[in-house]
Amino acid sequence: MITTVEAVPFVAPKTQGAGVPDQDLVLASKNLYVWFGPRMVLADVSLNFPKNSVTALIGPSGCGKSTYIRTLNRMHELIPSAALAGQVIFEDKDIYDPTVNPVDVRLRIGMVFQKPNPFPAMTIKENVLSGLKLAKLSNSNQNELVEKSLSQAGLWNEVKDRLDNTGGSLSGGQQQRLCIARSLAVDPHVLLMDEPCSALDPGSTLRVEQTIRELSEFMTVVIVTHNMQQAQRVATYTAFFLLEDNNPGYAVEHGPTQHIFGNPIDQRTSDYVNGRFG
Amino acid sequence: MSTALIENQTPSAQRPWRKKSRNDVLIVVVASTLPALFCFTIYQIGILSPVISGMLFVILQIAAGAIAGTIHRGRRGLADGVLIASIGFALAFIGTVMSSVIWSVLTKGLEALKWQFIIQNNEYITPTSPLGYGGIGHAVLGTLIIVGIATIISVPIGIATAVYITEVRGRSRVLVQGLVQAMSGVPSVVAGLFIFATLIFTGVFEFNGLMGALAYTILMLPTVARTAEEVLRLVPEDLRSAALALGASRARVVSMVVLPTAKSGLVTAMLLGIARVVGETAPLVFTIFGSAKTNINPVEGPMAAIPLYIFNGVRQPFAPEQARAYSAALVLLFLVIVFFTLARVLSSDRRKGKK
Repeated sequence: MITTVEAVPFVAPKTQGAGVPDQDLVLASKNLYVWFGPRMVLADVSLNFPKNSVTALIGPSGCGKSTYIRTLNRMHELIPSAALAGQVIFEDKDIYDPTVNPVDVRLRIGMVFQKPNPFPAMTIKENVLSGLKLAKLSNSNQNELVEKSLSQAGLWNEVKDRLDNTGGSLSGGQQQRLCIARSLAVDPHVLLMDEPCSALDPGSTLRVEQTIRELSEFMTVVIVTHNMQQAQRVATYTAFFLLEDNNPGYAVEHGPTQHIFGNPIDQRTSDYVNGRFG
Repeated sequence: MSTALIENQTPSAQRPWRKKSRNDVLIVVVASTLPALFCFTIYQIGILSPVISGMLFVILQIAAGAIAGTIHRGRRGLADGVLIASIGFALAFIGTVMSSVIWSVLTKGLEALKWQFIIQNNEYITPTSPLGYGGIGHAVLGTLIIVGIATIISVPIGIATAVYITEVRGRSRVLVQGLVQAMSGVPSVVAGLFIFATLIFTGVFEFNGLMGALAYTILMLPTVARTAEEVLRLVPEDLRSAALALGASRARVVSMVVLPTAKSGLVTAMLLGIARVVGETAPLVFTIFGSAKTNINPVEGPMAAIPLYIFNGVRQPFAPEQARAYSAALVLLFLVIVFFTLARVLSSDRRKGKK
């Protein structure tokens, strides 16, 4: 079913900033426009995500950050009124090409949600292995994989004695790390995180941040966050999103994190990261 | 007071929110006894008939609740008082109906209830045969077989319908929903007649247990489908997103995440479906025909079932047969309780660590 959406006359300013390499990219969006029904919510977003980097997406609420990362692994299309234009290039192929199966895309580009959502009918161990079963993958050594994934997510020591308890018996922070372990068990190339720490206490937050830094040695991470300090702590690159009046959101500036926070090009970026608005 | 401070005791656990002031208690006592006392006196004197004084009591009690509530907490108390009094009467009404049904089945049913009654069949037994001979073993088996087959057919179809409506969200979703709704309004005798007209009258099948099961299926299916639909809607959208983001196909999401999460609710759907049909007589009259012999083959020959046995029994003018019918009702009640308890216990999650 092809839905044509009338274009809203809005021209997004070009994204500013420099210092993000355009070589060795794992993931990139090119001139991405996003709609919900007739309303355009994102305009002309072109961002590059270099291999084994952590990119933080910051910006005020409602500017389309979450929508944006949902377009990166084809979760966006699950909303009935959703539409989009442009390309998302993942490992040199457009994921919105008609020949691409969204299930394969989601298998390689994992996602961690804002609210911890372990499967309540499964044990901790089953939760970690659920990705394998759901995607019909086989793994010869399941116990090893459970330990590896939980260790990567920084949860192994806390739960190794009660792997047969249900996921719901863990605290909120532990549940979130369980969800991270679950995403890691299918060995994705990219991990998208939508405010993964917004429901966590400071201790769990630091733990998750350390996990992200460890992951970035072999994985590309994109993280949406409202916490400026968190972006500075974990991200190699930062992109600043903004929406003004009733126009769609767009990416104002994208560059190395220390540039965005220390020496931003755009005045609005400077105002936002210094807490003067938003 | 001072001794407690000196000894530095830990206080005992209390529930201050449950404490009532003496004033509260007085209001409740006066409001709930005065109308009863007044109406009882009127009834004793004989001014009004029992029915009228009963109705007067309901009206006065609700009014008393309203007044007491207003005195206590003003306008918001008014609604409180009226509601508490009305709910009390509703509870008393339902309680009376329920307990009188159970009581009459119990008292009249215990007379003929012996071991032999549950085990033997009804062959060679006439309505005037004394108690102590014959039984409803054949009808118990028949009911179990017929309800069992109906469950096996309607639960998968019902759950599949619910999955189509809530998960697949296919294009004919609204049509299917409408059909299910229309189906749930089918009178039970029509379900029986439908099977009779299409499968028995046309000569495709004889009277047999399977026909009864199919008639039951027509009644069970909408109940199972609608309950399952409600239950599947309760599964959080987060879990579907999580599973999809892990690279699962839609089918795997349903079979591995949605259905297991809703498991206990789906058992409820099944139980409600069984409860809908287990006491139904009308669908069986034209389909299984009834039998005095034991027949456990659902595809050959007439079969017996407890509701049909009760229906035939209570119509007889002979005391022993009526007593047997009441006992059969008691057995049916007992079967339902045992089965429902069993299903609940089996479906409850026995894993540790559940919140």
